[in-house]
Amino acid sequence: MSNHHHPDPESMFSSYIKVASALFILTVLTWVAALDWVPRSWGEAGNSLHIGIGLLIALIKASMVFYIFMHLKFDNKFIRAFVFIPIFLFFVLTFALNVLGP
Amino acid sequence: MSGLSLSHEPVTGVPNGKLAMWIFLASEIMFFTGFFGAFIVLRNSNLELFSHSAGELNKGLALLNTFILIGSSLTMALSILNLEKGNTAKFRLFLGLTILCGFGFLIVKTIEYTTKFGHHIFPWTNVFFSFYFIMTGFHALHVIAGMIPMFFMFIKSFTKKGYNYPTKVETLGLYWHFVDLVWIFLFPVLYLIFPSH
Repeated sequence: MSNHHHPDPESMFSSYIKVASALFILTVLTWVAALDWVPRSWGEAGNSLHIGIGLLIALIKASMVFYIFMHLKFDNKFIRAFVFIPIFLFFVLTFALNVLGP
Repeated sequence: MSGLSLSHEPVTGVPNGKLAMWIFLASEIMFFTGFFGAFIVLRNSNLELFSHSAGELNKGLALLNTFILIGSSLTMALSILNLEKGNTAKFRLFLGLTILCGFGFLIVKTIEYTTKFGHHIFPWTNVFFSFYFIMTGFHALHVIAGMIPMFFMFIKSFTKKGYNYPTKVETLGLYWHFVDLVWIFLFPVLYLIFPSH
């Protein structure tokens, strides 16, 4: 049965509620972090800080969706390769384009 | 559902349908990777244009759509949980809510697009808007594609036999959560992470 590794339905229910609440809060946080709070004098560093925070929050949100909603935490570890390999390739591609590109 | 155990992949213990969905999702990650990778490169060489164009987007509507999609991910997960527990009425309720969220998302998207067209902003306006329309457009197509089997399951659940295939709903759930996940990245990347002018 597909769910024999999974915790009981009651604890899954509370995990889902917790994750969804966290996703809502982190979305608000993404919004707040993107406001114009970095001093202009920081220039390019401030810009990078905005991007860094925005993407870091997105990565945290994505891991929660992968691990809890999509059951990666409970399913066979083999399945994780389907997520980690493409994400690794994403970084390779983006890095290569940025460094080797025009 | 002991009969279903025959359909499991022997090494992973994962149902074949779910395994196939994960393989498909891996290819989907690569599909969106192409767009995100190209977007980042072009952004860095056209920062002025990208910041200015991103300033024209309606961040409020994008935030609303983020909330709608997270809500729909939760209702999808709850509908699967209820079907596994054998609670058909709640399964149908949460699946219905998920479909409604899907419609809500598409309505907000339509408002966004028509406002852009009204301001004479089209996919060919500039390279930023080409990316904006193609990335959000492909994402919206994914939303529509997910809603079709959901609708089918919803209708089936009203028949005498009901819809008692938790594994199939779970497989569709994987896809639906992935669509939510793509939006989690689209939201900051397209709408938020530009220096304001």
